[in-house]
Amino acid sequence: MSEFIIETKKLTKKFGSTTVVNSIDLNVKKGEIFGFLGPNGAGKTTTIRMLLGLARPTSGSIRIFEKDIRKEKLAILRKIGSLVEYPSYYGHLTAYENLEAVRVLLNVPKSRIDEVLAIVRLTNDAKRPVKGFSLGMKQRLGIATALLGNPELLILDEPTNGLDPSGILEIRELIKSMPREHGITIVISSHLLSEIDQMATQVGIISKGDIIFQDSISKLREQANSTIEMTLDDPEGGWKMLLAKGYPVELLDDHLSFSLGTDPYVASIVRTLVQSGFSIYRVEEKKKSIEEIFMELTGKDGGLL
Amino acid sequence: MASEFIKIRRKMILFLVVLGPLGVIGLQAANFGLRYDWLTKVYKDNLWVGLIDNATMLAIPTLLIGLTILTSMIATIEHQTNAWKLTVALPVSKRTIYFSKVILSFLLLTLSCLLLFVGTIVLGITLKLGMDIPFLYLLKKSYFPFLAAMPLLSIQIWLSITIKNQAIPLTIGILGTILTLYGGSFPDWFPWKWPMLSNQWNEPLYFVVFGLITGIILTLLSMMDFNRKDVK
Repeated sequence: MSEFIIETKKLTKKFGSTTVVNSIDLNVKKGEIFGFLGPNGAGKTTTIRMLLGLARPTSGSIRIFEKDIRKEKLAILRKIGSLVEYPSYYGHLTAYENLEAVRVLLNVPKSRIDEVLAIVRLTNDAKRPVKGFSLGMKQRLGIATALLGNPELLILDEPTNGLDPSGILEIRELIKSMPREHGITIVISSHLLSEIDQMATQVGIISKGDIIFQDSISKLREQANSTIEMTLDDPEGGWKMLLAKGYPVELLDDHLSFSLGTDPYVASIVRTLVQSGFSIYRVEEKKKSIEEIFMELTGKDGGLL
Repeated sequence: MASEFIKIRRKMILFLVVLGPLGVIGLQAANFGLRYDWLTKVYKDNLWVGLIDNATMLAIPTLLIGLTILTSMIATIEHQTNAWKLTVALPVSKRTIYFSKVILSFLLLTLSCLLLFVGTIVLGITLKLGMDIPFLYLLKKSYFPFLAAMPLLSIQIWLSITIKNQAIPLTIGILGTILTLYGGSFPDWFPWKWPMLSNQWNEPLYFVVFGLITGIILTLLSMMDFNRKDVK
């Protein structure tokens, strides 16, 4: 019945007595870029490990491609490409051999190696041992490895970690182009909001093991919508009057605040106040940045950005 | 499995596989070359058996140390960049991954034993011990210790793969080798005694059978353990 590619129910992971992931319900639709956001240590990587079958959930279920991961793990993994944190590679082998070692297991044609090398633009370095690669190149090799099996779902954990700005830009473009060109669904985790903001279509925010927000990025932006703040001679009187007339206004210290509506709506509030004899000193638009929203959601100890 | 062979490329692993038997043969060549007259007198009844027994004496500790280092090197390939998470996230079951490591170690050591077998023959012929080669005896002497050491192989593989710090499996492996050399004073149930093949029944085949059975059981147990564990 579900159109979700990934569906977790009450997914929980405990290490000893500490709960790292607490009963989360993730839903990812086909063709989305799902940004998985949270401060360091919030449980992102643990969740991703469970999605990939690297770690076993303490309780709860995971369904990917509408299959239960406990029963059909291999069939699921066949259609997933992944890159978890720092790229894993065999340093003594060349980029080509690294891919070959994985290709044999995936059972895809040899030509696919050249294709993925071309995608991440490593064709010229294919014959060099990977230990001599820069971090960016290793990261790109990791993405090439993830793409090798023509995955329908790509799970990338912090793919832009340790890359320089141009590398980040490159990978970002690459990731954004993938759902468009190949119909791949992508789950991407990061602790950097700006990163997710620029790529994702859906966002899930995790903090201390709990999912605290899950919706489209535009919904998150909506929350970031501006408020209007008004300073006037008698804030309390104005507040009471406006409330009595049915305007949802908040009284904050010495000013009034309400969420930004249409222009006529704002005008009607101002008119009501003026006609009732209040002196309005200032009408300001306060824009809450998406960062502030995020900080509000994750609490103070996020340590991000 | 083919993937495993790609991974061991350009590592010193194949070199080690060759070095072990080559070292044993080399030392025996020196041994017999220097003391040819004396040794041919001692073993005048059966020169070939003399050579083979001498070679085996050296081959057993070499085999055990080789086994230790080999399994550790194979595991290190995955440990180094934490490639376990890459391998395990591929559509291959964890049992298969573990099993292919076991098979790889087994095949490489089989190759070592084969080289020992061939090397001893070449050395014997060079030393002009005659063409009356006791093939069966030599074959037994080359492979029985290895088969009897199967439990040790299982243990070493399990240790190398589950413990990231390779000093631990290496230490245990080397200690085990020393224990084996003094194996005579241990009771027969002690697996580290088995590669020496001497037991109260005077029947080396018992230890080979014990070794194979215990080895298979231990491999299955450790495979289950690997399957159960989370990958870091």
